Amino acid sequence: MRAVVKNHIVVPRRTDRRFYGYGIPGVDLEQLAGKLIVVEGADGSGRSTQIARLVEWLEGTGHATVQVGLKRSTLVSEELEKAQEGNILSRTTLSLFYATDFADQVENIILPALKAGFVVLADRYIYTLMARDIVRGMDQAWLKNLYGIALEPDAVFYLNVPPEELVQRTFAKNAALDYWESGMDLGFSRDMFDSFMKYQTTIQNTFRGMQTTYGFTIVDGMRSADAINAELQKKTNAVLAGK
Amino acid sequence: MKTFAELNFPGRLIAVEGLDGSGKSTQIYLLKRWLELQGLKVYLSEWNSSELVKTATSKGKKRELLTPTTFSLIHATDFADRYERHLVPLLRAGFIVLCDRYIFTAFARDVVRGCPPEWVRGLYSFAALPDLTFFFKSDLEVSLKRILEGRPQLKYFEAGMDLHLSSDPYESFRIFQGRILEQYLAMSTEFNFLVIDANQAVETQQAVVRELVTQRVSLANFNRDERRPAKPAAESLKKNKAEAPRQ
Repeated sequence: MRAVVKNHIVVPRRTDRRFYGYGIPGVDLEQLAGKLIVVEGADGSGRSTQIARLVEWLEGTGHATVQVGLKRSTLVSEELEKAQEGNILSRTTLSLFYATDFADQVENIILPALKAGFVVLADRYIYTLMARDIVRGMDQAWLKNLYGIALEPDAVFYLNVPPEELVQRTFAKNAALDYWESGMDLGFSRDMFDSFMKYQTTIQNTFRGMQTTYGFTIVDGMRSADAINAELQKKTNAVLAGK
Repeated sequence: MKTFAELNFPGRLIAVEGLDGSGKSTQIYLLKRWLELQGLKVYLSEWNSSELVKTATSKGKKRELLTPTTFSLIHATDFADRYERHLVPLLRAGFIVLCDRYIFTAFARDVVRGCPPEWVRGLYSFAALPDLTFFFKSDLEVSLKRILEGRPQLKYFEAGMDLHLSSDPYESFRIFQGRILEQYLAMSTEFNFLVIDANQAVETQQAVVRELVTQRVSLANFNRDERRPAKPAAESLKKNKAEAPRQ
């Protein structure tokens, strides 16, 4: 006889849900049975690899998953892309545009998926949006109110990779640094390399500053993808167990 | 929140608010003509969206994709674009800017849709308050009659159909407008609305509007030909610009 494959599927335990602020009108938090896991980090920090592996592992252990990310809403993603290409919108406008994109995904993807008991994996969340705006001098109280529409995730993993390494990883994949990921609009330096280093350092400091408020887990992104994923799986297991 | 005058902008912003069909657009147009004919620097800001935001808004509206939250946010985006690229530069250049609708339209409409009032106000806190706000207070029935007489095609969101108040667009529009009026009235004292009885003759209303503007705005400062010393003003502005957003 062949060995019986272990079929032990864990049903996630329900925990209390909250919005960060005023939330979204008409949402019954009691109904949101699923889990929300956020992976944050700069481009090149390994977010997509880690999310892909988490999805594989979660599906393998019997959990339905949904993925969301920034600039993916049906409502405004195209327009946001255009706005960025032309760099024509001023700061508050761009910030609100991103918030619209985020809200659209919350209402049309995240909330329905959580209601249906899915594990939602978010490739970046409000923290990236807030950090980008804070670095550009936007008022923090204003941002906090704006993103009060966001649900508190069950876990937030911030993949921390120093700018020196991010540069190396970017060039291993692409021929050039990205205008926005280098913070060129901030005028740190006309030299793109200098600007990238300064910008990424500033963003990382901002994330560290937010860590106390939002309590996310800082994950050392310098280790192997396997080692990192093992840590994420362990912590995700704890989330599923309602811890 | 402070007014543009309190923030030491050289320009002044005059807003009109009121229900659809209250006649506010006619009144602000006549105000504009009067100021223009006196040779003053005046600009009537029409509520045209920028191309970019407009495509997103119309897509959302056409496909009825908008929820109260995204409706509110996309209109705030649109307003921010006009505010930062259009209104603020004009006000810094010392214009009298006339706005057909301002943030109070959003306050009323979004709250009726169920958004928390504090959240909506927070969204718009980057904007300074108008120096004068005229509220054209008409009887609900009078405004409704003016709009509905021609049996126009009411659009889904315009009629408040997303609130599911009634399956009949006209009935839905009536209830929706009634609720917006309630919100306007509740804000009237807090934001120092200058309430104009919109059931009066056009000329009677315009006379009151012109009188109030004369009393409250030093019109002589806005002469197109007058060349004012630019330097000290520019200095104080730089300082105020940093303080201007969200008070």
